[in-house]
Amino acid sequence: MEFTIRAATLEDCKDISRMILSRCELAEYEKVSDQVKIAQRDLEQDGFSKNPFFHGIIAEVPEHLKSKEGHTKVGYSLYFYTYSSWKGRAVYMEDLYVMPEFRGKCIGKALMSKVSQLGLAAGCTQLNFTVLDWNKSSLDFYLKLGCWDVTSDLGYHCMRCEGDVLEHLAQGDL
Amino acid sequence: MANFNLRKAEPKDVPDILRLIKELAKYEEMEDQVVLTEKDLLEDGFGNQPFYHCVVADVPAEHQKVEGYSVIGFAMYYFTYDPWIGKLLYLEDFYVMKEYRGFGIGSEILKTLSDTAVKNRCSSMHFIVAESNKASIDFYKRRGASDLSLQEGWRLFRIDKENLLKMSAEE
Repeated sequence: MEFTIRAATLEDCKDISRMILSRCELAEYEKVSDQVKIAQRDLEQDGFSKNPFFHGIIAEVPEHLKSKEGHTKVGYSLYFYTYSSWKGRAVYMEDLYVMPEFRGKCIGKALMSKVSQLGLAAGCTQLNFTVLDWNKSSLDFYLKLGCWDVTSDLGYHCMRCEGDVLEHLAQGDL
Repeated sequence: MANFNLRKAEPKDVPDILRLIKELAKYEEMEDQVVLTEKDLLEDGFGNQPFYHCVVADVPAEHQKVEGYSVIGFAMYYFTYDPWIGKLLYLEDFYVMKEYRGFGIGSEILKTLSDTAVKNRCSSMHFIVAESNKASIDFYKRRGASDLSLQEGWRLFRIDKENLLKMSAEE
């Protein structure tokens, strides 16, 4: 299938937001609005101002291959730079998504390849991301590409302090 | 001993930051994994677009328990992003020298970081902990942290440079 991968622009935020929401729906959350607090204007501000919190790339198909609903922007990846206190610069792939009707055409692989290129160009020596343990097809896809499961191999657990917990910590409550 | 000071790291702190990174890695039995140099830390933390931020804890000379070291704890963090909930603060490293534990320095560092997160409108603070590190897990769980790997099944995946190069060359 014919497609191109390019850097996301401000104008792409509408489609990125659309795909984020449909990803949430696909995950079968009952109330999308309970899960997704970020709207198009948040993406515009957080990703395209002077000090962006993330970067994006878009997979686009030509007009004659557009989706049933008329979309030519059919996949995206959001990534940002992080830091390993052991190895230095790293890149974190936060989201990788291709619309269901465009899967199986190597678009996902191409998006990931582009993130890898950009990361290497920025001096990164590793790419990190998370996968849910029930997502067998994704786990297999990534393991085949030479990724390794840090949680399994090193026993690292992903932890979170959010909402009230974060507020209490900030106030010094134990 | 209550006399300590928490402050933003400066370029002059880089040798101490690397020393503490290596001490923490040794504690995790991963000392040989640290390839970062002082030059990397200086360039990556104190240039135009820093990859990380650091707070350090220092003690005045008269309270030093280990001769010659005034910087006795640190935390390294950066900002990340979740497209569903927005900005997050990611805690990369957090360590207080053994001789200075039990005085509330760790709690104070965590409070400062949480305050930084809230002030920067981050909805959450994320970090990883090795499951074998029972003391740290207890420390965080006592403060309300959730284990996303256990509760939601998140697994951290990584691709190292050799495979990154292969992947970036794919058409």
